[in-house]
Amino acid sequence: MKRFVVGSVASFGLAALVWEVFARCGLFSPALSPSLAVIVPALVRMVVSGTIFVHIAYTLYRILWGLGLAALVGVPVGILMGRFKAAERFVLPLVSVLSPIPSLAWVPVFILWFGLGDAASVALVFYAATFPIILNTWTGVRSVNRVWIRAAETMGAAGGDLFRKVVLPGSFPFVIAGLRQAFARSWIAVVGGEMIAATSWGLGWVIFDSKEFLRTDVMLSTLVVIGILGLGFERLVFQAVERRTVGRWGMVRTAGT
Amino acid sequence: MFRTPTARFLRRAALAFGQLALPFAVVAILWEAFAIFGPFPPRLFPRIETIVSAFVRLIVTGVLPLHAFETLLRLAAGFLLGAVVGVTMGMLMGRYRWVEDLLVPVVSVGNPIPGLAYAPLFVLWFGLGNLPAVLLVGFSATFPVVVNTWTGVKAVKSIWIRAAETMGATDRQLFRKVVLPGALPYVLTGLRLGLARAWRVLIAVEMLTSVSIGLGWLIFGAREFLNTDVMLAGIAVIGLVGLGLEKLVFERVEKFTVVRWGMLER
Repeated sequence: MKRFVVGSVASFGLAALVWEVFARCGLFSPALSPSLAVIVPALVRMVVSGTIFVHIAYTLYRILWGLGLAALVGVPVGILMGRFKAAERFVLPLVSVLSPIPSLAWVPVFILWFGLGDAASVALVFYAATFPIILNTWTGVRSVNRVWIRAAETMGAAGGDLFRKVVLPGSFPFVIAGLRQAFARSWIAVVGGEMIAATSWGLGWVIFDSKEFLRTDVMLSTLVVIGILGLGFERLVFQAVERRTVGRWGMVRTAGT
Repeated sequence: MFRTPTARFLRRAALAFGQLALPFAVVAILWEAFAIFGPFPPRLFPRIETIVSAFVRLIVTGVLPLHAFETLLRLAAGFLLGAVVGVTMGMLMGRYRWVEDLLVPVVSVGNPIPGLAYAPLFVLWFGLGNLPAVLLVGFSATFPVVVNTWTGVKAVKSIWIRAAETMGATDRQLFRKVVLPGALPYVLTGLRLGLARAWRVLIAVEMLTSVSIGLGWLIFGAREFLNTDVMLAGIAVIGLVGLGLEKLVFERVEKFTVVRWGMLER
């Protein structure tokens, strides 16, 4: 643990040092590569005035809507695919054709269909998030240990019970992995979507808008916020969910930290 | 009816084809129904025949292949950059503890930031066009490669290393014959993820850095003229290229290396 702290301090210290040298060496004008002495106050200003929280709220609102809808569609579809061969045969070809298309390629089309603003971003997040959830849930249902199912059947479980008590918890590690992947993709989609399908709030929009005014300090502060939020979601939300559910049920070993 | 092997084969092939075609047929029918009866004007939601004819027209006149070619060049340049930097960094992190201590925190904070978020910054630094696009693609591809290479080097069984050392392997031999092949399954996974990420970022970056030719730019430019058919044809090509990258490039590389060495089941 001590090693980790010392390492982190050294690591970020070095990164800051490299940035300062890069900023002050005159390769780019100070307006394009501001020093930390300019970036940190900009970040503080955004926090104090509260604007950054409004941007965060808008971005999270879009991402949660998109992810929620994707989970609502993706998990049932994945379960059906895992349970019924016919569903698998029908859905799998569609998924394998649609999922390699980067979600951001749809931005121009979605703008035309849904207009600028929230709906286009939510649709984009939905597109980005659905496929990882479907594929992982499907894999999860198929990978439920046969022995568990037979054991439950021997003990008289059937239908709904078997599904609720064995198949669902058994496939949960994969469902969570799917949600994680989906979040990582949505994060990219939402930032890109906000840049192109311009609205007036949102972290992606701030970055894109600051370009017009050469506010590189605001851009870099927002980048830092995006990084911290992404890491925070991964570490706090998903790892906590994992610990509370599959970790507690003893199905995976969660990482020590 | 005779049950000859040929007839049986034909029937089975027809059945398999039917099964594969059915979902697409259903989607096509729904699309057509929505295009005809839905609320959108045909300009915004074209019928399938319009899309297909746009697709054919763009292929025959050479527009789509040209854009796809430019995009692939950019992808190759960016990905190569990311792969070289990423594998080197990952190997160093796996081999030397102080490098690991120094780089892991920065990499884990940098990893979840979407590469696209840097796009405006890169445009300010490097102007519009090819340079920022390639650099940004390389930059975003680096992270998954670093993380996986590092994990791979750390995951090489210490018993293999000890065995090789006992048999008198030098440092160099140890690296070339044990660590490198041992880490390769992870490295390949990293490269695969890196390529997928590079591909996703590239399409969006082309929209933002306004390169003159490229698939992302093609669909973005088509919006100005409400050419939804061109946009959808472009998206189809993007999907095909993405599928091709995955199936042709990586499954093959994997088969010839790690599967053949018996390190990964297929």
